[in-house]
Amino acid sequence: MISTETMVRMGELAVSTGSGDVLTSIGLGSCIGLVLVDRAKGVVGLAHVMLPERPASVAPQPGKFADTAVPALIDAVVAKGARRVRLEAFMVGGAQMFTFGGGSMDVGARNAAAVKAGLAAARLPVRAAETGGDRGRTVRVYAEDCRVTVKAAGGPETPLLSAPSAGRMAA
Amino acid sequence: MSTYTDLQLDALREMANIGSGNAGTALSSMLGKSVDLSVPHVSALPLADAVDALGDPESMVTAGVLPIFGDMDGVVLLLFTQEAADTLCTLLGVPPGSEYGASALCEIGNILGSSYVQAIGSMVDLHMEPRPPEVVVDQLGAVVSSVLAHVAGDQDVALVMDTNLEVEQEACALSFLLVPEGDGVNELLSRLGLPT
Repeated sequence: MISTETMVRMGELAVSTGSGDVLTSIGLGSCIGLVLVDRAKGVVGLAHVMLPERPASVAPQPGKFADTAVPALIDAVVAKGARRVRLEAFMVGGAQMFTFGGGSMDVGARNAAAVKAGLAAARLPVRAAETGGDRGRTVRVYAEDCRVTVKAAGGPETPLLSAPSAGRMAA
Repeated sequence: MSTYTDLQLDALREMANIGSGNAGTALSSMLGKSVDLSVPHVSALPLADAVDALGDPESMVTAGVLPIFGDMDGVVLLLFTQEAADTLCTLLGVPPGSEYGASALCEIGNILGSSYVQAIGSMVDLHMEPRPPEVVVDQLGAVVSSVLAHVAGDQDVALVMDTNLEVEQEACALSFLLVPEGDGVNELLSRLGLPT
């Protein structure tokens, strides 16, 4: 099967319904890879969130800030046919790579908290998350079966949540 | 909003050249080997492009980060390929990949970063103080994006100045980046006589 990998770079977001498509964010450090999937419809979305909130002075770039990325990604997957009530969320990243000599602000932890708060406000459950720590990570979302994988720096690609069997999908 | 003229980029390139020249000399006397420098590359890029410009984001690098505080805040980022990190350790007579190796790279980062920042600071008459480096081995993309998020996150464009150093014929290349915070760039430019 032909599989097309779309790189979702810092501040970007992407959605897909194509069965061979893979959405990928490589090298998540303090950034968060936010994944939304509707399994029944086969719609997947990925946002590469960089900071918790958008300063008023900055031009809007929906995927870049947690406070705008969560609603923007929800809108984007719904526009592709996902049902909001069926959406499941996954989070990867939010590491603290460096303390920057003071540790005054751990951007990674703040990003994770802000994305989580945004999802809670939208009443979306977080099905699985791998955040924190001090390692970089790569996240991949496979549109074919809504599989989400994570690969820590120098490690193997492992499922964050494997595709459940059809029988358990009913509920 | 954050665009710079060619003249301003040239002035910053010259400034980076003086900084990395000084750093190269310091590294050379530490290792007792000749050190070659490339002409620095100065570019103002959208943040995602700045990450891509430095190489395969998934490749593993050894990175040293030195935060700078003072009249200009920012970060000096040193990037060593794994081969370069191993070669430098060997040149210093410590086993690569060991705890001593990590501490040797930390010391190299300290010397390179401080001599770089010192030369630039005295050129533009700004007080800039580097903190001791943190050294990590991780994905290039994770390292660079985390530095940019910390330093330049609320901007659309990052100004990145990078130089490559090569130690004798040891095939030992490292890159050297200065990432100033937003106001820092303007401060540097006005000191260079080219205010925005």
